[in-house]
Amino acid sequence: MKYVLILIIFGLCTFVGYLFSLKYLRRKKFFNSLIAFADKLSLEINFSRERLKILIMNFDENNKKNLLDIDKKFVDFLDKKCELNEEEVFKKANILTAEEKNMVFMFLKTLGRSDVENQTKEIQNFLTRFQDLKNKCDEEQKKYGSLSLKLGIVVGLFCAIIMF
Amino acid sequence: MLEKVLPDKFHKILNEKVNMKAVNEIRLRVDKPVVVNVSGRNYFLGENGVTSSITNSLYASKIIVEDVIFRASECSIYSVNEQIKRGFIVTDEAVRIGIGGNLIEENGHIKTMNNFCSCNIRVPHVVKNCSLSAYAYIVHDDTVENTLVVSPPACGKTTFLRDFAYQLSQRNLSYNVLLLDERGELDCGVNSNFTDKIAFATKKIGFENGIRSLSPDIIITDEIGQEEDVEAIMYASSCGVKVMASVHSDSIETLSKKAIFSQILKDKIFKRFVVLSKRNGPGTFEGVYNENFSRIYR
Repeated sequence: MKYVLILIIFGLCTFVGYLFSLKYLRRKKFFNSLIAFADKLSLEINFSRERLKILIMNFDENNKKNLLDIDKKFVDFLDKKCELNEEEVFKKANILTAEEKNMVFMFLKTLGRSDVENQTKEIQNFLTRFQDLKNKCDEEQKKYGSLSLKLGIVVGLFCAIIMF
Repeated sequence: MLEKVLPDKFHKILNEKVNMKAVNEIRLRVDKPVVVNVSGRNYFLGENGVTSSITNSLYASKIIVEDVIFRASECSIYSVNEQIKRGFIVTDEAVRIGIGGNLIEENGHIKTMNNFCSCNIRVPHVVKNCSLSAYAYIVHDDTVENTLVVSPPACGKTTFLRDFAYQLSQRNLSYNVLLLDERGELDCGVNSNFTDKIAFATKKIGFENGIRSLSPDIIITDEIGQEEDVEAIMYASSCGVKVMASVHSDSIETLSKKAIFSQILKDKIFKRFVVLSKRNGPGTFEGVYNENFSRIYR
């Protein structure tokens, strides 16, 4: 019984550590997908000039999964089902900081509002900023992501030793 | 039809408290009252419908005007920039929205328009059978006469052409009709199995490509007004393709004084003129005239 309890506590601590590290991974994936999204928009707006809603709907599903439902909320706004406000758009995006939310929100607000040339410039401008955030997330993930997991394991081991 | 474009509040009032069948235009100007044209007369839009009193009227803000244009472009201004350069957007339901704002020019070419400050939403109508009174004078013995519909703006030219296309497709199945829809508002409610459409092309390109590729018997097109439009019609006529078009003018007399139409009228290319006015509301039928400008009906 004692050994089972030790194992459970060790597992729990490791899991908590993993959860913390997951946050950094999800942030990294989010910005990777956001960059892919902005890239696709820039490209398609220049060439196909297809409507925004169709471009968003056709964006690849794997990347969409990482966008924390922001794309869905934006499509709802395009369909006039809701207003475009930060609270609604970032309901599921609690891994982003207020500053990051603000930047992504500004990006969404500019979409579809100007001609091809200006729209492309605006997207390119945001892409540069997203790239910076992505680099920051990469570093964070390397630094704190693995650290959280390791800490979880160490704390688990520590508890196990005390209980033993 | 307008729910995608108008703010919910305005749409709700118009839908519930105004007879939309009689609404011709809705004008939104930044920081000015919303104006609704009902049966040819302007009113303000208030909480309880249309009103003559400015004190009860609703105002359009800059955000509202910009949002209407944004929505009209299906949230993709970049995709309709060519239309915006010409001063309007046409929605997929053939609602034409004229736009006022700052035109941006570069090297003598219009690049785009921004800083939108007003818009004029023209509500398209399908008035069934409105062309019937003139129909018998335009189509007879299996022949369609080249016809010009003449009226000042907003008198029902497009509605007339639309119904004529419909009537033709219902009554004479031997005709292939080409709708040359330069502004994308002609093909609203024309439900025909014998109608082709070329949209958003200039008259010159539309006539040339249409005749070459679609072999129409008759081309129906809206608002001619430039020399190249007249040339395109003369080209169609020389190819044996009948033309039905419309033009802005308050009468045939005024039209005949316009230099660009002098040759085509002298050559009697158009055999019929249908004159419309707003005398008893938009679409008032003033008569059908022949190539000698003599009234033959009404």
